Amino acid sequence: MRSPLSEAPLAALVAVLAPALAALLLAVLPMVRRRGAPAAWICLASSVASLVSAGLLLAGQLGEAEPMAWTTSWLTLDGQGLGELGVNVDGISASMLVVVTIVALCVQVFSVSYMHDEPPDAYGRYFTYHALFLFSMNLLVLAPDLLQLFAGWELVGVTSYLLIGFYYRKPSAGRAALKAFWITKLADMGFILALAVLFTSTSAFRFDAELSTPLANVVAGLLFFAVVGKSAQFPLHIWLPDAMEGPTPVSALLHAATMVAAGVFLVVRADPIFAHAPDTREVMLVVGSLTALFAAGLATVQTDIKKVLAYSTCSQLGYMVAALGAGSTLGGYFHLTTHAFFKALLFLSAGSVIHAVHSNELADMGGLRKRMPLTATAFIVGSLALAGIPGTAGFFSKDLVLAALEGRMGWLPYVALMTTAFLTAFYMGRVVLVAFFGEARGKADHAHESGALMLGPLAVLAVLSLGVGYFGAHFAEVTATGEYHLHFGMTPAIASGLALGGFALAYAVFGGGRDASGVGVLALLDGAARSALVDRTYEALYRHGMLNAAAAIGWFDRYVMDGLVNLSGWLTLVAARSLRRLQSGFAPDYVFAVVLGALALAAWGYLS
Amino acid sequence: MSLLLPVVVFAPAIAAFLLLAIPDSQKAATRAVSLLGATISLLGSIKVALDYDRSAGGLQMGYDLPLLPTLGIHLNLAVDGWGASLLLLTGIIIFAAVLASFTVARRDKEFFIYLLVLVSGVFGVFVAQDLLIFFLLYEIAVLPMYLLIGIWGSSNKVAEDGPFRYVWSLLDVGGREYAAMKLTLMLLMGSAAILVGIFWLYLEAGATSFDLAELARHEYAEPTQLIVFPLFWLGFGTLAGVFPFHTWSPDGHASAPTAVSMLHAGVLMKLGAFGVMRVGMVLLPEGTHAWAPIVGAVAVINVVYGAFSAMSQKDLKYIVAYSSVSHMGVVMLGAATLDSTAWNGAVFQMFAHGVMTGLLFALVGLIYERSHTRIIATMGGFGSVMPVVALFFTLACLSSLGLPGTAGFVAEMMVFLGAWRVGHPIWAIAGIVGAFVTAVYVLRASRTIFWGPGPSEKFEHLHDAHGSELVAPIVLGAAIVVFGVWPRLILDLIDPSTSANLAVITRVIGGGQ
Repeated sequence: MRSPLSEAPLAALVAVLAPALAALLLAVLPMVRRRGAPAAWICLASSVASLVSAGLLLAGQLGEAEPMAWTTSWLTLDGQGLGELGVNVDGISASMLVVVTIVALCVQVFSVSYMHDEPPDAYGRYFTYHALFLFSMNLLVLAPDLLQLFAGWELVGVTSYLLIGFYYRKPSAGRAALKAFWITKLADMGFILALAVLFTSTSAFRFDAELSTPLANVVAGLLFFAVVGKSAQFPLHIWLPDAMEGPTPVSALLHAATMVAAGVFLVVRADPIFAHAPDTREVMLVVGSLTALFAAGLATVQTDIKKVLAYSTCSQLGYMVAALGAGSTLGGYFHLTTHAFFKALLFLSAGSVIHAVHSNELADMGGLRKRMPLTATAFIVGSLALAGIPGTAGFFSKDLVLAALEGRMGWLPYVALMTTAFLTAFYMGRVVLVAFFGEARGKADHAHESGALMLGPLAVLAVLSLGVGYFGAHFAEVTATGEYHLHFGMTPAIASGLALGGFALAYAVFGGGRDASGVGVLALLDGAARSALVDRTYEALYRHGMLNAAAAIGWFDRYVMDGLVNLSGWLTLVAARSLRRLQSGFAPDYVFAVVLGALALAAWGYLS
Repeated sequence: MSLLLPVVVFAPAIAAFLLLAIPDSQKAATRAVSLLGATISLLGSIKVALDYDRSAGGLQMGYDLPLLPTLGIHLNLAVDGWGASLLLLTGIIIFAAVLASFTVARRDKEFFIYLLVLVSGVFGVFVAQDLLIFFLLYEIAVLPMYLLIGIWGSSNKVAEDGPFRYVWSLLDVGGREYAAMKLTLMLLMGSAAILVGIFWLYLEAGATSFDLAELARHEYAEPTQLIVFPLFWLGFGTLAGVFPFHTWSPDGHASAPTAVSMLHAGVLMKLGAFGVMRVGMVLLPEGTHAWAPIVGAVAVINVVYGAFSAMSQKDLKYIVAYSSVSHMGVVMLGAATLDSTAWNGAVFQMFAHGVMTGLLFALVGLIYERSHTRIIATMGGFGSVMPVVALFFTLACLSSLGLPGTAGFVAEMMVFLGAWRVGHPIWAIAGIVGAFVTAVYVLRASRTIFWGPGPSEKFEHLHDAHGSELVAPIVLGAAIVVFGVWPRLILDLIDPSTSANLAVITRVIGGGQ
């Protein structure tokens, strides 16, 4: 798959290398990085270059351009190349690239203002990480094979670790960063094994490897394990809510719109393998539906606005996974795209609010609609899209997902996701009512609207959250992931009805500034959320399992293995001390020994 | 006859010889000469790597000087792809190590003399084609350690509680003399086994010389194969930290001065692994084949057990030392598979682990010089006062846990792929688990040291690395990234030699596994 370096791969190379160059420059030139503002400019310039390249690539794919790749082998084995390094441009990668670069640029512009109060060196560090992230994500998106995709996959994991731990002086940020990295790394063991299995049977790492069904099930299953970690699916979802320790724009970019969606993207990319893995898809359907419902339930009782959105992200990723499990690659991928825009919008609006009230707690907000009308509008637009109100982007993509589930597994996933749609509208309605309506509470009294640098990205994302849904047919065509139909049957009607019902219930419970956290079901859910059973299980496994095993092995090595070494040393010393007596230094002793020896010899001669 | 290899090998020794003529008081001259010797070797090793004809493969740049023609002993130097990449590693590490030794205050001239002589031995082992010279240089590489640790090392007695306290105090466990003695004795025991093996093969082959190629042509009887291979495996393996002969490493590396730790963990442990593969496996294919499952099983213990041991340590240098035991296990694991993917990975891991652990020890040295503690529980928040050290430490940690884009990834990935391909899934899984455990303990340590609220009052005055201290981290850090991003710089060197050496084994045991 080598083609001459023509225009399209050149644009793709720019998309990857511009942020790489920016990250490298900022990493090796601390004097630039520590001045802050220049770092932001370099990072933004590289992101603009990436965005323009991405736009060109997508335009090409929408037009006449053929999919193309430019690759070189990365490793050497038996005199031949192994693993492809380069860029692979087709409808799937070009569309994802556009989504990633738009959201990234919005988030970075937003950050220029949001992070303004940071000291210059932290400000520079922040944008260095952003450049590194965009490079890694583009590397992943444009990967020509699974090996490079894995490289990008791990690198986005590291930037996530660095960005969650951005406020490294805060102990909770450190803990959250480690937790996120460890959990995803644990899941990535599946990815490595999948690569090993694939390599063993095909000597390559291609997305479209032709595998027998059992083998495809194994490879897809192992890959899916990695997806469960990266895309925060039950039971490895626990790192995502904690990841909210990072700066809010980071949550928008990495932990909502792009990085966590990488798992879903992987499944879309490796669709030829997953298509031959029916058993794995069944598992995906179950895990996705379960996560969607479970996380939506937890989202209803969070008191921290970012945590609501984090659980909501888990839940929506569950939608995508369920759609992919049901075989609707288009549904999963389209929902990824729309979700990227409206969830980034929600997080950035939340960031705007947090910036104004200096708190994440819903209890500190209230009545913000009057003080921050534009932010409030943006947040409400995002909420409507997330809830899937007809006309918004979320409606169209959710419709595809739900339609794909009709009749599957005795309608159970369908019911679960429908319930989730209701809960989604309920918890978003709650946040909107508590934060933006009613009376201003505490710090919210002094809030004022954010500046243009923060509102601009919100406007862009709001437009996309409303408009992208209408391009489903184009999207289906360019990505070649399936046929697009808008369903005018029961499914969209029920879903819309449930969404409206969710909002209505939220209004009934929380409207007019009521605090209803103690009400029946909610209190129950709250209790369940607080018990954090899953979290504690991992904690116990780590503390009681891993650390104790380490202590035991360390002890064994120190005292038993090394003890044997020391014992042999000690025995040598003891033996030397006793044998030393033989050499007493007195002549009579030696004469005595000589005589004894002579007698022994004589006796031996006589006897034999 | 090319003089390039003798220059690379003997430049440090000649520099050491010149140092004898410099008065003790001339510290600047001492450093300059030492650095010059190291630099010549570094540049020479880069030239070797560049000049090596990758398409031709085989032994190149030969240099042959008959030393004792009657006994068939030649100073026969030539380089293959493995040798070229490991020369490069040694060049990088000694350059960084000399720079990191500029802080040695006491008897620094002697320190540099021993260090440079030692490194000449290391360079020599990678290119010696005469087994006796190989062994001689191997000993030169091992023995100066005793003095370097015994004189310039640090005693670090971890307070022992409970029943072992009395016995430990008897043996002076943790003292630098103890560490030096333990390291030297254990490694010499290995050497003894190697020497027996060498003579055994020489006599059985009825060889007229110790030439490796000549010895490799003979087909040794089965009992010989089965007995001599473990001699080489455990003999060389002791230096590679093969379980259960690894316990010299934590004490030795912890007590050694910075440069010595860097060199020892960074390069010397590779001598062991290189010896097992280049001498043990290539000369004794049948023995290798018979013993490979055991070699691999022991390597699995190394990987997992070493990683868990590292996790339990409280002393930063012990963590790094145990991580070396674990990472060298990956090399031996790759070697045991007898698969080309994993062999490429194993040799690459020698390189990758060399620069990574060299960087870690250099940074630990920097931290220790400032804070005078190595107990990580007493540290915290150092990132605020030494961001550059934190940056490089993080980079080394990420290479250690096998992050793509760092050299560590390429090495581990290829070993895992190879192990799986030849039907040893358990080995591959153990290796992957080891990498996960590594992620846990290195990042945990990194967080304890560098993250958290600003440092306590005691450490507020600490300052970041600056000036010449930065050179070693930059060189080693750059190597981690450059070879991680573009591994073919040395993989293309390694691959032909892997094929050639593996062909010897597969020819004898019939078509490979």
